[in-house]
Amino acid sequence: MNFVAVTACPTGIAHTYMAAAQLEKTAKKLGHTIKVETQGAMGIQNELTQAEVDAADAVILATDIAIEQEERFANARKIQVPVQAALKDPEAIFAQAK
Amino acid sequence: MKALLQKHKQYLLTGVSHVIPFIACGGILIALSITFVPMTATGPDFSKAPALVKKMLTIGTTAFQLFPAVLAGFIAFGMASRPGLVPGFVGGFIAGMPQIVDGKSASAGFLGAIIIGMVAGHVTNLLKKLKVPTMFRPIMPIIVIPILSALPVGLLMLTLNIPIATIMVDMMKFLEGLQSGSQIVLAMVLGAMIAFDMGGPVNKAAFFFGAAMIQQGNYAIMGACAAAICTPPLGLGLATLIGRKSWTEEQRESGLAALGMGLVGVTEGAIPFAAGDPLRVIPTIMLGSMVSATIAMLGGVGDHAPHGGPIVLPVIDHRLIYVVAIITGSLVTAITINLIKKNSNPATTK
Repeated sequence: MNFVAVTACPTGIAHTYMAAAQLEKTAKKLGHTIKVETQGAMGIQNELTQAEVDAADAVILATDIAIEQEERFANARKIQVPVQAALKDPEAIFAQAK
Repeated sequence: MKALLQKHKQYLLTGVSHVIPFIACGGILIALSITFVPMTATGPDFSKAPALVKKMLTIGTTAFQLFPAVLAGFIAFGMASRPGLVPGFVGGFIAGMPQIVDGKSASAGFLGAIIIGMVAGHVTNLLKKLKVPTMFRPIMPIIVIPILSALPVGLLMLTLNIPIATIMVDMMKFLEGLQSGSQIVLAMVLGAMIAFDMGGPVNKAAFFFGAAMIQQGNYAIMGACAAAICTPPLGLGLATLIGRKSWTEEQRESGLAALGMGLVGVTEGAIPFAAGDPLRVIPTIMLGSMVSATIAMLGGVGDHAPHGGPIVLPVIDHRLIYVVAIITGSLVTAITINLIKKNSNPATTK
């Protein structure tokens, strides 16, 4: 399957990026494709375009805070989880998409 | 109910995540400018300071003054997105205005900002639900909502200013009046919270309390947190160096990374260890952080920046004790975890 994801934690210096790395790693392992946008202390990085969101089968939101430009995901299928979930058991998140 | 609380925690954290860089800018610039001027009995004396130092102080103070406005503004932003910004910022700014409580200057500060930010978000969300004829729709976000939200929110905050400022003054008095016995309890609680989830919500609660206290002029809470923040990764990194045989090669590698993260005050460096063996690792790092927080608190360590670890040493009061606190806490964690690992069945040791 084809995923897009956003990760964001309150401080935006460690968990945000660790969660992004975990999601990328797990997606590869499970044979999915994924693009992960991070909304950390540096602002939005690796930004998702509307076209990428529309093309994805589901959007994973691993976020503990309100994210920016949420309107991009208005019509998408969303999987909302805390950042911790992406660190602890990322495979379970992808399992939810089935 | 739980989901509602969870949501409000998310709103609060949205505000916190935006305000932390402001505390860092303000705290560090103020602390640096103070190091350039003589200290007198009544505090630092800026009367003969060079112009640049005075300006640095002004810039730092400005960053601090923005604190309640930014906090409330982005709490409301988290709840109601863009229309929340106006009532949030206005309400938060009012919360930061100086009030006279018991003859002393005080403000509703971060407590007022949190309350009014939440109120602003709810008010805005209600206004967004108003059904209006299509021809008036364009003026809703630019005229109607800003005024109709800022007005009641501002009025409410102006009314709440003195009561909340009084609570803040009482809280500060309570913290400053703590005797060494209760100081130990406070430091142990802070240390345990910082280590418990290594950068998660519990850690952030203690951290934000310390950070908010910096803006109130109490640096001791952050001092204790700062020492506790870096001991989990430093302690575990140290453990892999001391007891090389108890650890796998992969863990020794994460140990080095953990040392690096500990030095720059990122508790998350301990996560790879705790993830594989939480029941043994988490209590051990809590113990180490409690020790370092207690030593720092009793030694009068103050931290002017909302960050921890050896990297903030330049803006620490009582630097030597700070270093001692970190080393002792890290050693406690390192020695304890290695002893536990040695005495446990290797088959269950990951």
